[in-house]
Order: sequence, then C-alpha cells, then structure tokens
Amino acid sequence: MRPDDRHYLPSHEWVKSDGDTVVFGITDFAVEELSHGNEDDLVYCDLPEPGRKLAQGETFGEIESVKAVADLNSPLPGEVVEVNKTIEDHLQVLARDPWDKGWLIRVKPDDTSTSHLLDAEGYEASLGKADG
Amino acid sequence: MSRSSVLSSARSDSASPRTWRLIESWDASPEFNMGLDEALLDDPGAPPTLRLYTWSPDTLSLGYFQKWADVPAAANAATVVRRITGGGAIHHQAELTFSIVLPQTHALFRDPVPLSYERIHAALIAALSEFGVEAALAGPGGLRSDREQTGMCFHASTPLDVAWGTRKGAGSAQRRRGGRVLHHGSIKLGSTPLEGEIATLEEFLPAENVVQTFAAALLRAMETSFAVRFERQEPSAAEQSAARRLGERYSSAAFLHRR
Repeated sequence: MRPDDRHYLPSHEWVKSDGDTVVFGITDFAVEELSHGNEDDLVYCDLPEPGRKLAQGETFGEIESVKAVADLNSPLPGEVVEVNKTIEDHLQVLARDPWDKGWLIRVKPDDTSTSHLLDAEGYEASLGKADG
Repeated sequence: MSRSSVLSSARSDSASPRTWRLIESWDASPEFNMGLDEALLDDPGAPPTLRLYTWSPDTLSLGYFQKWADVPAAANAATVVRRITGGGAIHHQAELTFSIVLPQTHALFRDPVPLSYERIHAALIAALSEFGVEAALAGPGGLRSDREQTGMCFHASTPLDVAWGTRKGAGSAQRRRGGRVLHHGSIKLGSTPLEGEIATLEEFLPAENVVQTFAAALLRAMETSFAVRFERQEPSAAEQSAARRLGERYSSAAFLHRR
C-alpha cells in the first residue's frame, strides 16, 4: 500500500502536509511508468521558480524520461516557496525515493481541502481500473 | 516479454476501439503538423487517431527539452520548430512521420512507456520486412550511426529504436498529458546531409512513390499488430482551426529558444 500520510491525484502526483506548507511529489507508479525500473531513464525535470502561483490542477512542470515527456499537475492551489534543487540535477534521487528525498516542490497552499483528492486506498483502486 | 506477447497485449483489450481514424497530411506545413497533433492530444473527445504526414518545407524539429545550443544545425536551418515530445533533433526530409493519439488507458499505452515502444516498433519492423529490410530493436551497446555533438535523434540511439544494418532508421518520442498520449514516430526513407551514416530505405524501395509505398505497408502492419481498421478522414473544421491556432508557437522565437 502506498503511504497513507498523503493524498493523491489520479495522474500520480501526491501532496503531503508539512506544517503550514504542503509538499508535492510523484508516485512510484509514475516513476515506473516512465522508466520501467531504469533510474537513468529519467533525464530532465522542469520545476517552477519560488513565487509562482499555482491553480488546482495546473501544470507546474514537466518530467522527461528517455522515451516520454509527462506533465506534473498541482493537487492544491498555492504559491511555490521551495523547489527541490537536488532532484533537478540528480533525477536518480527521484527514481530511488519518490516518497521522501524525491519531493518536487513545497507550496504555501491557498486551500487545504483534499475532498477532490484520493486517499491511499482510493489511489490504489484507481491503478487497478481498466479501459472502459 | 516475447515479441508475440508484446503484440497480443496491445490488441487483447476488448474495450479498446477497433476502428481508428486515419488522417494523411502530405507536404503539410510544420506548424500545422505540430498544431494538429497537439489539438488531438488535448481533445478528450477525439477518436483514436493515426496520422501519417510529410513536411513542406523540409524542417528541422528539436525535442522539447533539447538545448538550442546542442544542435549546431539549428542555427543554419531554414525552417525550425520545437516539438512537444522529447528526444533529439530530426530533419524532416526524405522521411515519413506518424503520430498516434489515444487515451492513456488504451491497451497500447496503459503499461510502462517502454512497452508501448516495443508494441509500436514491432509494427514498424513488420512493415519494413515487406521490403526485405531485416530490422530489429537496436538493443544495448550503441549503433554505427551514433555520433556525438550533432544533437540529431538519429545519431543518438537507444535500445528501443529500430535499426537495420547496425544503424538507426526509425525512432519515436511521446508526450503524455491530461490522461492522453501523443506518440511521434519518424522513419528515414532517404539520406539527408544533416543525418549522415544512418539507416534508410533507399536501397530497398524505388524512389518513385516511396512515401505512399511505405505508408501503405505501415498501415497493413498496424492493422494486423493492433487489430484495428483505419478509416480515412479529414480533420474537422474545429480541429483545423485549433491546429492553426496552436501551431503558431512551434516556430516562435520564444518557444524555439526556451532552452
């Protein structure tokens, strides 16, 4: 089971509270989808600068693997206050630890409501859905 | 995963539509080509679509994250665009481009990205075999066509590229957004000055009607590989309008020089 101390978007981003800020990241499923277990397949990541205002669901960055570019979407609205510079230069950190050291950005949220997000159980269930 | 199981897993999903739209755009402008692909990617109501297209004028396209300075040919190319898919630069001359746009939940794309490449490139390999081309996935270890510091896609092989004669002859890139996937593919029909020493179809197909000849083979291979039927259609008026609107940025200075 994925960590239950955070909430999720169906597009595989997670958000976790940390004091008066929240931290965004992507799940191991997203990493696996892009890299298929090869950590060196993650090649670029574009993240926003501190000060950028994000709307809920807005694309805040992109990540490229050897074979795909994928959008990174904001689970909550707010202002970017910190960016994980480590993973911008060393994407292997994200590949190895997407839940902790591989966090992407820290945001001061405008709204902390998570009613539109999935809990861990809901995210797990979403992964098992077939094409309809 | 064996080749047969790679193919069967792309067509075994009974819920995936069996009829795909085919849009052919011959000698289309680079802005229209890129704009229409983006319009289809961002339209959740668009049907499953395969596009086959060529470019006029001949165009150099850069990958989304590629640095302008890493492509020496860009400074002197008459026509340059930047794609929204990744990878290296491609010279769209003597070349066939295809794009596939589907929901990410489709059987072709729902598994890890590399598996979708295996499935699509298996169809390419089948099409090439019609002309006696002994193509295969490049595998590890590099190819004779690899060159440093050109920034060209066909000079930088990856294991999932399609190669023949130990040189790269076809490659792909994807953009995933909003639960949908745009898959770009490029097959070199002939050689160009910017992409020397790569694999082409020059020795396998006559120059006359080479695009149409190979395109027909590719359609047959995809129909078999993906268990689909293609219906030729023109893009709708709304799609054409969106393509023109979206296409403007692809050759804009801001987008070209974003990196």
